[in-house]
Amino acid sequence: MSNFSLSSKSAQDVAIMMPKGYINDMVAEHLEQTSEQLLGKGVKKIVVNFAEVQYINTIGISIFTSIVQKTLDYNGVLCFTNMKKVHRDILEMMGLIKYVKVFKDEEDALSFMNGKG
Amino acid sequence: MPFSTLHENDFLGRQEELTALYKRVLQADMGTPQSAALSGPRGIGKTELLKQLFGLLFWKQDRVAPFYYAVNSALLSSSDFSKTYLIQFLCQRLAFEKKEQSLLYYDGISLDDLSALIKSRDAVWARDIVDQYERNVGDPVSALRIVLAAPRRSALISGMPVAVLIDEFHRLKGLSIEGTPDPRLVSLFEEPMSFRKTPHVMAGNAAEIQELPISSCLERIPIQPLGFADASAKVLSLLRAYEVKGSVPPLLLRRLGGNPFYLGCISRAVSSKKNPEGKDFWSAYIQEIMDGALALSWSSVLKNFFPDLGLRRTALEISHKIYHSGEPLSCRVIATSFALTDSQAEVIAHTLYLAGIIRGEFGVFRPVEDSVLRDVIDCLYMKEIQAMLFHDLERDFLEKLLPEKAEVVRFDLTLPMTGEAELVAAKCLEQLGKNLHLNQDSVGQLQIAVIEACINAIEHSRGTERKIYVSVIVDGNTMEVAIESAGQEFIVQETGEPFGDREITNTPGRGWGIKLMKRFADDVRFEKTSRGIKTVLIKHLDKSVHVQKEDTINRE
Repeated sequence: MSNFSLSSKSAQDVAIMMPKGYINDMVAEHLEQTSEQLLGKGVKKIVVNFAEVQYINTIGISIFTSIVQKTLDYNGVLCFTNMKKVHRDILEMMGLIKYVKVFKDEEDALSFMNGKG
Repeated sequence: MPFSTLHENDFLGRQEELTALYKRVLQADMGTPQSAALSGPRGIGKTELLKQLFGLLFWKQDRVAPFYYAVNSALLSSSDFSKTYLIQFLCQRLAFEKKEQSLLYYDGISLDDLSALIKSRDAVWARDIVDQYERNVGDPVSALRIVLAAPRRSALISGMPVAVLIDEFHRLKGLSIEGTPDPRLVSLFEEPMSFRKTPHVMAGNAAEIQELPISSCLERIPIQPLGFADASAKVLSLLRAYEVKGSVPPLLLRRLGGNPFYLGCISRAVSSKKNPEGKDFWSAYIQEIMDGALALSWSSVLKNFFPDLGLRRTALEISHKIYHSGEPLSCRVIATSFALTDSQAEVIAHTLYLAGIIRGEFGVFRPVEDSVLRDVIDCLYMKEIQAMLFHDLERDFLEKLLPEKAEVVRFDLTLPMTGEAELVAAKCLEQLGKNLHLNQDSVGQLQIAVIEACINAIEHSRGTERKIYVSVIVDGNTMEVAIESAGQEFIVQETGEPFGDREITNTPGRGWGIKLMKRFADDVRFEKTSRGIKTVLIKHLDKSVHVQKEDTINRE
């Protein structure tokens, strides 16, 4: 049923992940592994673009907690973009929003990241 | 009157509870049952259940004698209570021997006439009890002890166990000697209740029973609201009795919350119309909450618990605040808001809790999950505090409650519990939203809540039937989604909240599903059904998102 797919691309020293479809536990674990690999390779700026995300459940979103934690451990920066209001509300409710930067789109996130050097 | 006036075929949606109770008291034959108290909100049907149980025990078996007693608040002096309790017990016990229904109505019989009857029946056990009572009638405590032990004594002498069914049990906190109430007198029930050949089943106001000194001896049996289908069948049956054809609009039926008393009030109120339509039911409901039997019932509760007019007014204002604050209120907050001392606020809040008007746990108070009670409180508040005119009140409620569209869209889905079944339900809502041009943001929020409810249904499912039943109703600007599955009971009685799986709630990041449902739906209810458990999500599609402070508190 799930039409999940994850694509990632790099812009300068920034990695961009684009999950698609339904973010549940399995998908979030996939995102977690990918972000861990990126951080392990020294990429410290990560953008997650939610434009293609249709649904999120709380089990999936809870795994974002460890992505946030790992990014902080590596002194990295995590940005979310193109979030629907309802998805943003979920992150807010779970207290995750204060650990990430949320931008309207990738362009804004990249400007911020580049400004960070 | 121990028998119910309701025919057993019209006693809908309670067969499971009735059978369980019947089997339970029959175990007295083997000396194994434990005494219990039926627990549930006002109007849920505890009295009816007790009466149906009496009828079943009286007619359908001959191993355990049933005794039904409804505590009368006019007969609370120890001597009055002892005498009526004894006479009714002896009459009912003698009636059971030859299934003589007429003897059940001898409760006005004098003790002398009863003694003569006992003699003519050669009932040695009964003679023994009456002799013992007459020897001690001058000492109220001894006499009370003897009559409470009468079922036990009859069981010991005759060998026949007795199931003691007591309704309005909470009133016994007013038992008095020489005009002085002594709540400790109730503790005299402890011994007869613990005797295994005389199981006691009590009904009454659960909150007050819980405060009686014998509550620890009683196992609590929760009585749940009727499910949607049973509630619907109940209304049809009631309307049939009034020779009226019609069916309650689904959203109104849901609003009535499966409470048989509420269902009865609306059915009676609408019965003046021969073929009532949806708006007639809504009008009948509004009349009921404004000045019908339903409003009167809750007003009486307020009057009983707050006889002082000034205090009653404050209690109503506090109730209204609790129902509209969106977060639980502590006594401190209540005291500050209403310029009361902490102890005044505590007394009023605790009394409202005992009255069943609010819930109170861990020092904070919140609304009862009862939309009808909420409406009644709103109505009383507008009438008594805001002095709103009857006509304006009626118009306000009509605007608020009567759905704008006459057309109701309903569909049902049965989903296998396979991976991501929740997405099917979510996709259906999306399509429905598009077809009906509903507010997309609101539908999106409800989709997330439905996903969580489905995941919950799968996690709590304990049955062999691996299916989720989803029903969707769109009525005017309201969308209601019910998610039902076979599963274990998961509602905590004190709070009306589901208890989380301990393992799940202890896992970091887990246990957010219910909070999320409550954030994105305007109303969330949990019901026990014949199939298992049901979560009902209601969303008013024309409303902006209401962010509750409670959620904000829990954010970190």
